[in-house]
Amino acid sequence: MDQSTTSSFCNLGILDSLSNDSICEILRSYNGFCAATQTLLAAVDDLSARRDFVAHVHSLCKHGLDSLVRDHFLRVLEETFERNGASRFWRHFEPYSNVTGLNKNDDLEIDEDEILSVLHSALEEIYLEKGYQEKCLLMLVHAFQSYKKQVSRDTRDLDAERNHLTTKYQWIVSSVLTATLPRNFRVILHWYFKRTLEELSTRMDEELQDHESQSKDGMDLDEKGKICNKVGEMDVDECYNDSRYSENNKLVNSIGKVVLHLRSLGFTSMAEDAYASAIFLLLKAKVYDLAGDDFRSSVLQSIQSWIQAVPLKFLHALLVYLGDSVSYESSSSGLKSPLASQPSSFCPGIDSPSEGLVRWKLRLEYFAYETLQDLRISKLFEIIVDYPESSPAIEDLKLCLEYTGQHSKLVDSFISSLRYRLLTAGASTNDILHQYVSTIKALRTIDPAGVFLEAVGEPIRDYLRGRRDTIKCIVTMLTDGTGGNSSASGNPGDSLLEELNRDEEIQEDVGIDDDFNTDDRQAWINAARWQPDPVEADPLKGSRNQRKVDILGMIVGIIGSKDQLVHEYRTMLAEKLLNKSDYDIDSEIRTLELLKIHFGESSLQKCEIMLNDLLGSKRTNTNIKATISQPSQTSGENAISMDTISATIISSNFWPPIQDEPVNLPESVDQLLTEYATRFHETKTPRKLQWKKSLGTVKLELQFDDRIMQFTVAPVHASIIMQFQDQKSWTSKNLAAAIGIPVDALSRRIHFWISKGIISESAGVDTSDHVYTIMESMAETSKNGAGSSGIQELLGGDEEEERSVSSVENQLLKEMTVYEKFIMGMLTNFGSMALDRIHNTLKMFCIADPPYDKSLQQLQSFLSGLVSEEKLELRDGMYFLKK
Amino acid sequence: MERWHAVASWTWDAQDETCGICRMAFDGCCPDCKLPGDDCPLMWGACNHAFHLHCILKWVNSQTSQAHCPMCRREWQFKA
Repeated sequence: MDQSTTSSFCNLGILDSLSNDSICEILRSYNGFCAATQTLLAAVDDLSARRDFVAHVHSLCKHGLDSLVRDHFLRVLEETFERNGASRFWRHFEPYSNVTGLNKNDDLEIDEDEILSVLHSALEEIYLEKGYQEKCLLMLVHAFQSYKKQVSRDTRDLDAERNHLTTKYQWIVSSVLTATLPRNFRVILHWYFKRTLEELSTRMDEELQDHESQSKDGMDLDEKGKICNKVGEMDVDECYNDSRYSENNKLVNSIGKVVLHLRSLGFTSMAEDAYASAIFLLLKAKVYDLAGDDFRSSVLQSIQSWIQAVPLKFLHALLVYLGDSVSYESSSSGLKSPLASQPSSFCPGIDSPSEGLVRWKLRLEYFAYETLQDLRISKLFEIIVDYPESSPAIEDLKLCLEYTGQHSKLVDSFISSLRYRLLTAGASTNDILHQYVSTIKALRTIDPAGVFLEAVGEPIRDYLRGRRDTIKCIVTMLTDGTGGNSSASGNPGDSLLEELNRDEEIQEDVGIDDDFNTDDRQAWINAARWQPDPVEADPLKGSRNQRKVDILGMIVGIIGSKDQLVHEYRTMLAEKLLNKSDYDIDSEIRTLELLKIHFGESSLQKCEIMLNDLLGSKRTNTNIKATISQPSQTSGENAISMDTISATIISSNFWPPIQDEPVNLPESVDQLLTEYATRFHETKTPRKLQWKKSLGTVKLELQFDDRIMQFTVAPVHASIIMQFQDQKSWTSKNLAAAIGIPVDALSRRIHFWISKGIISESAGVDTSDHVYTIMESMAETSKNGAGSSGIQELLGGDEEEERSVSSVENQLLKEMTVYEKFIMGMLTNFGSMALDRIHNTLKMFCIADPPYDKSLQQLQSFLSGLVSEEKLELRDGMYFLKK
Repeated sequence: MERWHAVASWTWDAQDETCGICRMAFDGCCPDCKLPGDDCPLMWGACNHAFHLHCILKWVNSQTSQAHCPMCRREWQFKA
């Protein structure tokens, strides 16, 4: 009524002009119209009131009240729809009102088919209701039309009138439904699509399998080529499996009907959301199912073909059924992604409906890629752990990332998993290095430019720099081709030595490449292939060309400089060579050659001399032996002949500092060595030998009353045990004097023999003096409880921390102590200094002998040594003198 | 005892430590050489001054007339 008052309020003049009669007529026909409307709408399929209705409309229109008629009719329509349609519609779903979350479906044990049928019937019903109301609406429109035809010739806007009314009605329907929308409807819809799609997909899977088994051999290749235009061939497929396809069709049609109904109810977007999310859910499940935890096979291809086979077919059928993909497409064509225009994946022959399909395909593929990528990224750590086997997964990931471009996600997630799982105190340095190498290899596949590797490698490098045994591990990995360390991580050594070998090959290849590069055409191709750096690249780190990924380079990057690495290698090589009793150094020579290729000849000069010394000693040894025609007569009662002696003669200037402790060798051996030296002097005049008596190895055979034992030990151990040949029991002081080493060193060394059960220790008369007695028989040994079994071979030096070559740290410490005074003086003058200032000052002033050439890290470790000795204090990064 | 493998270092039996010409250690090698020892031997003159063979040869060859020992300026004669 508001409407009528306002409209008449505007036309007050007309009101005045109205006669009593006409007022009565208006009132009458209005009442009649209202009643007719009521009956018309309330009744189902009863159009008997039609005539009255039309007449009343006409009479009202005559008085120019057509807008009133329209408004009233629509309002009644709305009320009725709300009462009859909507509420009844929702009532269908009331039993499921407790279904609120998607995931709760499983717990609630809903009868699936029931929901299905309920949804179907509810939609059917409301559709009917709506259809009826639309019919009524049309009746009104016709009434208007017929009136207008009577009154005027003006037929212009009749269609407009109808459109206007239908649109309005559409609005009413959807607004009523949306306003009364119960929460669970969305869930139900979603659930419905999920279920039907699952059914469909299982069917289609079967079909696909059948199809594949039909075309067993020859088709396999074609399959891949065909996948891209499979959509186009759908008609062909239809012929293939008519029966099953029609079944599928039925399913698709029923889905299509639901979608259509929903659309007509104004739930277009909701329906779309629902089936899209159902498809995505299905896709996700499929991806997880296919990908899983198996990294040994590539899954991308099968996922793609699945997308083609199942969801796209479904969508195609659905869009065809709906028949209005054109409108759908036109509504969104403004948002067309640049990818959509890529013609590569579809045959040009397919016309407009497939446009929507292309968009769907792209959407689905992107989603699949993203899902797979997320899955793989979250498992990247595991993938890299078993890298060489998991390379298909890496390839997949690479493709996914090319598509999605979410490299930064990979970097972040991988770094955090690295932090959490690898860079912990519990992980051994070897394992970390191994993982690092695998990471480099794996990421090199994904991203040849190494931009992301840079980011990922940084934390590992930083962490490894903080570990003391890093260099040693790296050198071991580099040199130990046989995988000498039997740690659980397999043989990381292998990989690096292989890397050395491979590197050599690569360098050869590069040489060949360079030859080709002289060709202009090749150069042009190279130039054409240039691509800008990925945006994530750090411009500070140089351009792509300089950032060639090089595993060894990155490993050396951990250490900081190759000098340190070479230094450590030299130390390890020295130790290895000194402990060799044969002169077999083939593998070392090979390793050295490889290293030379990589690090340059000059830096490894000293190592080469070391190896050369070994070769030279071998020659000298044979020469000296040759000068002796017969076994020497000078070798006392033990009859040790010159044959048993061999020597490694080194050029001491080129070896790392060697720790030599004086030791008195047994007389007989000493004599032999002297003789050996003399002979050397004779053959190599005017050179002479200086024995490093504590170095070398001695192979011993100990004969006891009841057993024979073999040992390979250091000379000190040998001379200890040989003292017991003449005298069964020694006090520690006497023995130490005889061998010429301090008592504490002796007790340390002799522990080796005690642990072997060959010498027993007992307290002597003096408390500080111990008595060592040799055990002559097994019986005595077992009494002592330290049983040892038959023949053993053991390098005596190994179990103690004793090393023939002083370790790098010790050398460093020795070198750094020179600067201690400087540092102390500086701190006295300046009070407090930061690390880098000390470093710079030292660099500036210590240019004289010996020049200061240490790195910041070395200085830091030295200073922290001083702190722990309580000479210095460290507060807030500043060093103070301890007061 | 079956086998004794000892380690020794060699040194030139000369009075001095470093070569008077190149100032490198005798036990090392002259600047032109890479490998010490037999490949870069020492040479004694009649005056008992020792130099790397290569160093003294270079010296002797560079002298126009009679060469002298770089250390004591005595006439250079290779010691037999």
